[in-house]
Amino acid sequence: MKNTMKAALACTTAMFGSAAAAQTMTIGITQNNVGVDSYQTTYERAFIAAAEANPDVNAIVLDAGGDVARQLAQIEDLIQQQVDAIIIWPTNGEAVIPAVRRAHNAGIPVVVTNSNIAEQGFDFISSFSGPDNVTQGSRAAEIMCERFTELGIEDEARVVQISGQPGYTTAIERQQGFDERLPEVCPNVTLVATQPGDWNRERSQQVMEAFLIQYDDIDGVYAGDDNMGIGALNAARAAGREGITFVGATNFAVGYDAMEAGDYWGSIYQSPVDDAEAALQTAIDILNGEEVPFLNYFDTPKITQDNMGDFTKPVF
Amino acid sequence: MTGLTRQNLGTIVAKQGILIAFALFMIGFAMVNQRFIALDNISGVIRSSAILGVMAIGVTFVVIGGNLDLSVGSMMSFSTIVVLDLHDKIGPGLAIPAMFALTLLLGAFIGFLVGYLKLNSLIVTLGMLSAIHGLTLTWSGGKNMDIADKSGTWFSFFGQDRIMGIPVPILIFAFLAAVLAMVLSRTAFGRKVYAVGGNGQAATFSGIPRARIVFMTYLVSAFCVAVAGLLQASRSLGSQNTVGQGMELEVLAAVILGGASLMGGSGTVFKTVIGVLILGFIQNGLLLAGLDFYVQYMVTWAIIILAVWLDIAAKRGHLWSPIA
Amino acid sequence: MAIENRKDMIKQGGIWVFILAELIFFSMAGHYWSVSNQAFMDPGNMLLLLKQSAPIGIIALGMTIIMINGNIDLSVGAIFALSAVVLLDSLSWPFMMAMGDWALPLAWGFALLTGVTLGAVNGLIVWKTGIDAFIVTLGSMLGFRGLVFMYNGEQPTSNLNWTLVDFAEAQVLGLHTATWFLFGTALVLWFVTTRTNHGRNAYAIGNNRDAAVNAGIRVGPHFMWNFILIGFLAALSAVVFYSESGSVNPNDGMLYELWAITAVVLGGTKLAGGYGSIAGTLGGVIAIQLLRKGLGHIGADTQTVNLVIGLILIAVLFLDRQLTRKGKEELKI
Repeated sequence: MKNTMKAALACTTAMFGSAAAAQTMTIGITQNNVGVDSYQTTYERAFIAAAEANPDVNAIVLDAGGDVARQLAQIEDLIQQQVDAIIIWPTNGEAVIPAVRRAHNAGIPVVVTNSNIAEQGFDFISSFSGPDNVTQGSRAAEIMCERFTELGIEDEARVVQISGQPGYTTAIERQQGFDERLPEVCPNVTLVATQPGDWNRERSQQVMEAFLIQYDDIDGVYAGDDNMGIGALNAARAAGREGITFVGATNFAVGYDAMEAGDYWGSIYQSPVDDAEAALQTAIDILNGEEVPFLNYFDTPKITQDNMGDFTKPVF
Repeated sequence: MTGLTRQNLGTIVAKQGILIAFALFMIGFAMVNQRFIALDNISGVIRSSAILGVMAIGVTFVVIGGNLDLSVGSMMSFSTIVVLDLHDKIGPGLAIPAMFALTLLLGAFIGFLVGYLKLNSLIVTLGMLSAIHGLTLTWSGGKNMDIADKSGTWFSFFGQDRIMGIPVPILIFAFLAAVLAMVLSRTAFGRKVYAVGGNGQAATFSGIPRARIVFMTYLVSAFCVAVAGLLQASRSLGSQNTVGQGMELEVLAAVILGGASLMGGSGTVFKTVIGVLILGFIQNGLLLAGLDFYVQYMVTWAIIILAVWLDIAAKRGHLWSPIA
Repeated sequence: MAIENRKDMIKQGGIWVFILAELIFFSMAGHYWSVSNQAFMDPGNMLLLLKQSAPIGIIALGMTIIMINGNIDLSVGAIFALSAVVLLDSLSWPFMMAMGDWALPLAWGFALLTGVTLGAVNGLIVWKTGIDAFIVTLGSMLGFRGLVFMYNGEQPTSNLNWTLVDFAEAQVLGLHTATWFLFGTALVLWFVTTRTNHGRNAYAIGNNRDAAVNAGIRVGPHFMWNFILIGFLAALSAVVFYSESGSVNPNDGMLYELWAITAVVLGGTKLAGGYGSIAGTLGGVIAIQLLRKGLGHIGADTQTVNLVIGLILIAVLFLDRQLTRKGKEELKI
């Protein structure tokens, strides 16, 4: 009973946009797969820290372990617990839509974080908070092209791409951005092949080993994140192939180090701490009745060997 | 095919089926693509099979002893993460023995549960698969583990260097295979492993300490996992927590392909190595032929079934199963 | 006989005692550690628990009879995924699109047929070659997964059909659609294992295959039927789950075989065969889901969940063996 009242109150506050946030709000989050890489782990830490720092927020932090069924169950649980808002980091951008609709129908605002859901679900979410992944892909293409121009091979270079997990919106958007932008800036560069590396360094290393067997001439590698980029770099190094331009995304500490060592050319600077804090803030703003853009992007700039001094080394 | 069952020739084919299949594969792929038998390609395949191979040798001991080990993938992640973390904290010279000790401790725990407490190995190692993953995440805090100074450490020797042109992982794989093959075939311990797996009950009556032998097989397996973790860590000098995920079933496939019976009591290190190489060369050959990776899954399926079928058909003298 | 019965009751009751202990623990712990004000034992929460147990549960129920036979099936996760792909993909075939909502039952049919076919392939190989089911299904786990990837590369297969979603989300008499399927499956399998010849044969074969053969039981076809059954159930589980989510990744269902086996073993079924019950498996499935839900409720992190689930599995195995041994000693006296 007490709980219902509280939820009702929170709803009212949200609806009438009263700025009085004296009432504590319960915000539930279900993450994709914590522990699979540093980004997701750092994100979780940052989220918990941000929630604890805010006395008005109670956070329920769940992890789907990469399993769609488990994530759907967690969304159901959060709806059942009548939390005030739900933040979802989708395991599959389409499979979660019915569950999101259920939350929407129960009057609970849903914020999607990090990787968006498919467009069919846009009616049921309040906001997406995260990086603009299409822009990240195009920026990576620009970095790659600028480097080729410096090296004077912009008319003959051959590129392979190692994309993220298939079906995962971030992976699709980054690939889309890269695929579209590269021919615009460097029309004579050939994209030879694209294979998924599943956000996994080992898998990416295997994919790159295969590329090296199949293609004698590779000048550039675009990887969907630095974790995979480093896997590809390891493969090239083991095979003794030099002079390849590596460009990634989501600059990891290990990518930053490799850039410093001169082995890795560039990436996109994206902080999981910003990502987590932005998601929480978006949810809080919505509950406080503030206007929030539907696509709430935080900026993710280019980072290369040339300008890396402007950035601190990533913590993950 | 029907006349095959009663003829000597057929028996020989069936008994050495795995080797013959291997030879046919190599010849077939070589005819499709010359590059397949290039020396650098062959050495590349063996090098990338080394980690799986080392683990498979250890699991061969467990399987001959009549048990299973599904925890090796998870345990390999643990070893890799631990040695990478300790590398920067206490230096590689201490990190390696410390990692071996911790991995062996896990192996001893499993060996104790399966050997002395006689718990079912499938479920114990399934439970440990999950528990060790939790342990790894606790150790690393869920973060990727990377060696800070990648160019200034001799630790990369095991995974990346060459001695007289031969990659070190291949040398380690070959050396370990040779030593453990000797242990299995030439020592009293090896004979006891076969005895325990072949007929646990009889082994107990004939005075062989079943519990201790089973315990030891898990120590061997854990030791091999530690070596694999060392190779993995040294190869990439950094790792995710999930690096070994799913390898347990690949390892088991290689062991089965090598003809070890899951009932225990049969199998050899040499044949397991052949099983590992077959998997490696199939993957490489299909890749060079331009086929997608999932074709490899289906080919592996067919080969496992055919290899095991020929093996048991030779033993019972009939191609088709006698069960009605 | 009386002692034997009592022993059975203790053993089969074990899992339910364990569930009760979980409920009490999480309710009390939730008081202190949970940020949610909702009681753990809230009826709505318990209804969800049953629903969420369905995907693994339906498969685990089928796995029970396979394991009573003394066999095992490692390919169920791949069958689950391929059936889901067929379900969602078939809805976009032109002639199916033309049929409107009538395509839905047909799509279910195609998916179930896929499961039955794959199960039959496993069963036939086990029967005709005499290879151990573990090896056969380890192989087909890879092979069937290969088929999943062949179908649609590494891309997910999606088809969000709201009619299907509404059906899957429906609640009849308070129970969700998935829960009805879970209970229905349990009821049918309970009947099969306890009241039919086929069920009695399953136990007889698991107890002593040679004796069963001598008694005139046709072991091969019996195995085949059971593999068809579990193929069907893996597909049924996929059909129920993916009706509600509308998109399948080619890697979905991985590790489901291991969770199903875990649930069956927790429910008291012996891996060696000859012993086990459907009710026990139902308990095992609920116990696992309860553990996950409860650990989430008290805010346990990922590593703790993994650690606890793994160790509890081993602990239950240990307790179960102690209990069995005790039973045997009593019997001697």
